[in-house]
Amino acid sequence: MTDLLARLGATEPWILWLLPLALLPLARSALRRTSVPAVAAAPADPLSAWLGRALTLAGILAIAGLIVALAGPYRTGARIERLGIGAQVSLLIDRSGSMNETFAGRQPSGAEESKAAASRRLLADFVGARGHDLFAVTAFSTAPMLVMPMTDRHDAVRAAIAAIDRPGLDYTNIGRGLGMALSQFGVDVGASRVLLLVSDGAAVIDPRIQDQLRAAVARIRPNLYWLFLRTKGSPGIADRPAGEDTPQAAPERHLDLFFKSLGVPYRAFEAEGAAAVEAAIRQIEALERDPIPYVEERPRRDLTGLAAALAALGLAVLVLAKLVEADLANAPAEAETATEAAGAAPRRAA
Amino acid sequence: MRPRRVLPPVRPSVLPPFVARNLRDGRFRVLAAALVLALAALVAPPIPFTRTGVSVLAVVDITGSMAVRDYPAAAGSVSRLETVKAALRAMLPDLPCGSRVALGLFTDRRPFLLFTPVEVCADFAPLDGAIAALDPRMAWEGDSRIAAGLFRSLAMAGEIDADLLFLTDGQETPPLPASGGPTFDGKPGAVRGLIVGAGGYGLSPIPRFDDRGRPAGFLGESDVQQENRSGPPPADAESREGYNPRNAPFGAQAAHGSEHLSAVREPYLKRLAAETGLGYAHLDGPGGLAAPLRAAATPRPLPGRLDPRPALLAASLGLTLLALLANPLALVQRARRGRAAHPVQTLVPTGPIRT
Repeated sequence: MTDLLARLGATEPWILWLLPLALLPLARSALRRTSVPAVAAAPADPLSAWLGRALTLAGILAIAGLIVALAGPYRTGARIERLGIGAQVSLLIDRSGSMNETFAGRQPSGAEESKAAASRRLLADFVGARGHDLFAVTAFSTAPMLVMPMTDRHDAVRAAIAAIDRPGLDYTNIGRGLGMALSQFGVDVGASRVLLLVSDGAAVIDPRIQDQLRAAVARIRPNLYWLFLRTKGSPGIADRPAGEDTPQAAPERHLDLFFKSLGVPYRAFEAEGAAAVEAAIRQIEALERDPIPYVEERPRRDLTGLAAALAALGLAVLVLAKLVEADLANAPAEAETATEAAGAAPRRAA
Repeated sequence: MRPRRVLPPVRPSVLPPFVARNLRDGRFRVLAAALVLALAALVAPPIPFTRTGVSVLAVVDITGSMAVRDYPAAAGSVSRLETVKAALRAMLPDLPCGSRVALGLFTDRRPFLLFTPVEVCADFAPLDGAIAALDPRMAWEGDSRIAAGLFRSLAMAGEIDADLLFLTDGQETPPLPASGGPTFDGKPGAVRGLIVGAGGYGLSPIPRFDDRGRPAGFLGESDVQQENRSGPPPADAESREGYNPRNAPFGAQAAHGSEHLSAVREPYLKRLAAETGLGYAHLDGPGGLAAPLRAAATPRPLPGRLDPRPALLAASLGLTLLALLANPLALVQRARRGRAAHPVQTLVPTGPIRT
């Protein structure tokens, strides 16, 4: 019972201060008043007294009902925790200038699609394919940019993805981007965590930042996916450079080695076209099938109708009473017999 | 449900005479009207109508001068960027549901779109979070070429079919050359919107940060470019000390000035606004953006729904109270009439008999 009361609310609670008006029927009646020389002249009539009390109650019900209905009463919605299939996905998207080129490394012309446009199209399908996924979007080029915090509002996430094929910026500063994407996970809710990096290249990560990333990954333990949009003819993830094997000479290979050394589940997808990107996204979707707790919002229930119905009931009783009311002051003699009460009351001269 | 609809011409054969009389009673009619209104409130559907909302691209200047702390706060002072963020976040609930807001950053000479327009009510939480996360460290360049950034922001707003809300302090870094800034080659007024000038009117020092983002004092006069020496020299260059048309066209002295200090460049921003057909408003504190924005932006029709129930219920309540309170007046009047007709009769104080 207290639980039920605690869940009641009103949209305009100040209107409830008018509730003392509901006591008005105790002092006033909508029925005609008739002065009689002495109350004692009327015989005791329990039926009349009972009817009088009922009408007072009907008046209280009508006024109180109307005031409560005006205040907009509702029963608050419940937040119910459920388990669904999904994951917390932190998207880290490369917005460097080269993303605006095609997979062939050219400016897109005609029906050709840039790498950014292809990932925009395919990621937009990925977001919202499963109802209970949470997404965060981080972009990086010269600096990391927090685009959208972790949210279950897929429309907002799609709006962030719709912006990724805009002209990009200069460089690929992947280290700080990874740091920000990891910071997007927030508190642990027991869900599977996915970090999806979409980039068309890699860069050397500062050793100091490497240590910070190792610490963050050890704490957060995400599943790591790297969707590498490889431009035709450029070195792949596995290619050893011809000369010295340094991070500067083969940043992609060394980023891959760095990811492998982190000790978390990691997969790299090398995509050389839109079809390969799509296949990679399907595979990620299939791999991430862990339960995720999510909150289902039960909508609040509007109780205005209930209060208005009670008020209408009270009003209906009052109207009915008015309809069959005796007019002792003006009524012709035969009308008196039809009234329920006060039949013996002496008439005052009209 | 009741024969009360049969008003004055009452057939005595159907209704008892007292009912017919009651049907003509004023307070009966008032109560009946209250009942009808209460019943109408039970079944009345929402009335559709059209409201006006906005669709706006907010582009926030995150360059160095926006870190100037010249907005007073409860404890000390707050930076321009923090004030701009607070004002944007306060603006969201003041926009009608269905309005849409996109967010972009500005540094260097171009805006960077973070996301396309997002609905302000359903997607409030991520939108609010994204604005709160704006940080000067997202900047990719230290320059701040306001005019170029504004013109490109206008083009971007046009592409995503939104109005522009451009929030800046108007400080060009490096300063504009003597020949003036870039010229606007778009159509003034094609994209509507508002330039918001952030910052105080008095000069304040610009804070400096080290490479880890920690505060490290303020910029000094020699830390910033005081004069833009690209392009042709200004007209007064010949009178400068050490002027040489070939070797020292800007004079031999280092430029002095106040570019290391910052105030809102209101005349410049107003000129840019006039040139591009935008409105201008000064940001006085962390709020008050919604009203000037709605005045300057294109009104966009949004479907709205008006709940008629409060009006019906309020009218019903008013009539019910009227029916109760009208009674004593009628009694007093009748009592006076009665007393006039029968001067000897005294009214005995009695309780009313209610039927």
